[in-house]
Amino acid sequence: MPDLQSLGDNLQVGLEHYLTLSVMLFSIGTLGVIFRRNVLVMFMSVELMLTSVNISLVAFSRYLDDLNGHVLVLFVLAVAAAEAGVGLAILVEIFKKRDTVDVDEFRQLME
Amino acid sequence: MLIQFATVFVFLCLGLGFVVVSQVISHLIRPHNLHPAKQTVYECGEDAEGSPWIQFNVRFYLIALFFIVFDVEIIFMLPWAVAFNDMLKTLGAFAFWEMAFFITILALGLAYVWSKGDLEWVKGLQSRDLREVRPLSVLTSKDAAPHGRVKVSEHGG
Amino acid sequence: MNFTWSDAAYFGPEAVMGLTFLLCVLGDLVTRGRRHVVPFGTLLVGTAISLVLALLHPPVSSHAILGQMVVVDGFAHFFRLLFLGITFVTALLSWSSREIMGRDREHQGEFYALAAMLCFGMMVMAESADIVMLALSLEAVSITSYILAGFARFSFRSSEAALKYVLWGAVSSAVMLYGLSLFYGLTGATSYEGIRAGLSGGQGGMALLVAILFVMAGIGYKISAVPFHFWTPDVYEGAPAPVAAIFASGPKIAGFALMIRFFYVALVQDDSQGTLALLDDVQWPWVLAIISAATMTLGNMAAIRQNSVRRLLAYSSIAHVGYMLMGFVVLSANGLAAVLFYLFVYAIMTIGAFLVVVALNNRVSGEEIDDYAGLGFREPLVAAMMFLFLISLTGLPPTAGFIGKFYLFAAAGEAGLWWLAILGVLNSVVSLYYYMRIARAMYFTPPELSGRVGLAQAHLILLVVLAVPTLVLGVFWSPLKEFADQSLRMLLGGG
Repeated sequence: MPDLQSLGDNLQVGLEHYLTLSVMLFSIGTLGVIFRRNVLVMFMSVELMLTSVNISLVAFSRYLDDLNGHVLVLFVLAVAAAEAGVGLAILVEIFKKRDTVDVDEFRQLME
Repeated sequence: MLIQFATVFVFLCLGLGFVVVSQVISHLIRPHNLHPAKQTVYECGEDAEGSPWIQFNVRFYLIALFFIVFDVEIIFMLPWAVAFNDMLKTLGAFAFWEMAFFITILALGLAYVWSKGDLEWVKGLQSRDLREVRPLSVLTSKDAAPHGRVKVSEHGG
Repeated sequence: MNFTWSDAAYFGPEAVMGLTFLLCVLGDLVTRGRRHVVPFGTLLVGTAISLVLALLHPPVSSHAILGQMVVVDGFAHFFRLLFLGITFVTALLSWSSREIMGRDREHQGEFYALAAMLCFGMMVMAESADIVMLALSLEAVSITSYILAGFARFSFRSSEAALKYVLWGAVSSAVMLYGLSLFYGLTGATSYEGIRAGLSGGQGGMALLVAILFVMAGIGYKISAVPFHFWTPDVYEGAPAPVAAIFASGPKIAGFALMIRFFYVALVQDDSQGTLALLDDVQWPWVLAIISAATMTLGNMAAIRQNSVRRLLAYSSIAHVGYMLMGFVVLSANGLAAVLFYLFVYAIMTIGAFLVVVALNNRVSGEEIDDYAGLGFREPLVAAMMFLFLISLTGLPPTAGFIGKFYLFAAAGEAGLWWLAILGVLNSVVSLYYYMRIARAMYFTPPELSGRVGLAQAHLILLVVLAVPTLVLGVFWSPLKEFADQSLRMLLGGG
């Protein structure tokens, strides 16, 4: 039977853990944008990237004991919502005309 | 402080273990006689009609878009409300008028959406593309893809 | 940190533009979207008032306002005037554009509200001195741009352009925000000055390199530098032509302004002898020099292959970003002054060239180079103006483009970056070929139809208005150069 108390004392969740999580989310988001072809999924991946930004900002803010990071997080959230709003509105517009949300179908603007 | 998370972890293991064990046991002891009727969505009552992969009306998304925009603004009001008393001491009335101005801008946006008629369900029916309001049966019979999804294709990788 | 009403005195032009945006929306609302002249007039009047305010109170010293998030100085003044001018001209040229009117003119009023918002965002971009304000102003400009790109709702090409723009724009801004969060983590500050103070220890290491590269990616997207340029031709081609004229000038110039302030305040130190030095051992000027070389070369190579005038101008605008980056990487006041000078000139000649596209777009269906055949015989004035803008874009005397390029190449040579300057000259020679393809079509190909094309009177007047400074600044350029030098004085210490 391992001693749970000492295990807990030795495993502190520190700045590195949050940053690692943030980097992982950012990478997943980037890969999602690059490899998925469904525009909705691509937008979700972008949201994932923005979430990772927020995690790292909050972690830094907490670590530095400084509130400016939190302020930036609030604005990033609002901006992400606005961006998603505009993006989805444009997508709805396109979907009405083409009945698809696959980026490979949008090839009219090519050389 | 991590010791509390150890408790959570134990609960997580127990919960998952319970699901796995009960599934395995029921798989072992239940009788196996298959019948087509058992494969339907509802084993009793009406036969299911069409596919569950139907397309939601695009106007749900429009309403959702308006909601997101106004919903997110709350995150600016919460910190303002919490710190309002402190701000009154340093900034005076400016603390109040600042937020009043902000809400006025939001209200202007809402009025704009309203006057353009995008909050009304019926205007959408009249002025929008007819294909949007086609009945569900059209979507689920002919131009449906194998899984009933309407060409919302998704090739991963 | 304190906010007071006295800040408003320094923030006047921006406040007026913000109010103009609200009044445009309100005007459209009150007239139920039927009388477009109301928001149009509101925008013109608002821009004019803002311009007068800016001209009446040029900043005499650097002044930080709004909780040290915005700095009003000579640099901000320069860009204020430039953006207000761009907004005024593009509003005028869009009034009689077929693509902005749409089929039923239902949404034309919204265009002017968006233009006001765009101008507001661009002015704040040039003034922001804090990464919170940087992110906010950049997004204000970006989100407005996405809507403008998809403004022609009936056109699938416009919607497609907008989708590409918003998708890659969202990715690049996420990347940039990640870079900014690293800056914050490294230095514990959000203001540019704080970041400089935090970095002066000089041990950023790998994290600083990543942070700088990520921020470069975000700004590189806005100014469409290689390898973040791929959206440019698609968006310029798909978006309505007046919007393409705005994109080629406004947000791109604002991106440069933002980049100059961020890099030169946060990442460079002035050792009080007037020479600028890097804070850390991360050699970002070299990265940017390579980006500059790649941008001008790829932009020009791709432009050669284009048949569509709009795509050609899009690639040419990419190439010009390459030239301007040349002045940015040399870390000297001369280089920056050359960039400012060129940005001013570039705005005039690019809007001029796009104005010809807008004017013809109303009457002629195609936008291939062949569609411009015989324009010199059918519309001598328009063809002559186009020829002038093309000469200026190539960088031949006696036009403003020549002087601008001369300063840029001289600044690069002065800093010992001879290879970059020579590459720039070679690229200019290449660009002569594809600009002259348009000129050849206009003057040496017989027209299929004869008679006048019949263009809008307003467009012709505006063309002449833009052509005059293109020529005048080519022979009498010292006032603008002095203005650019003076604008930088407060930014680079000693203000």
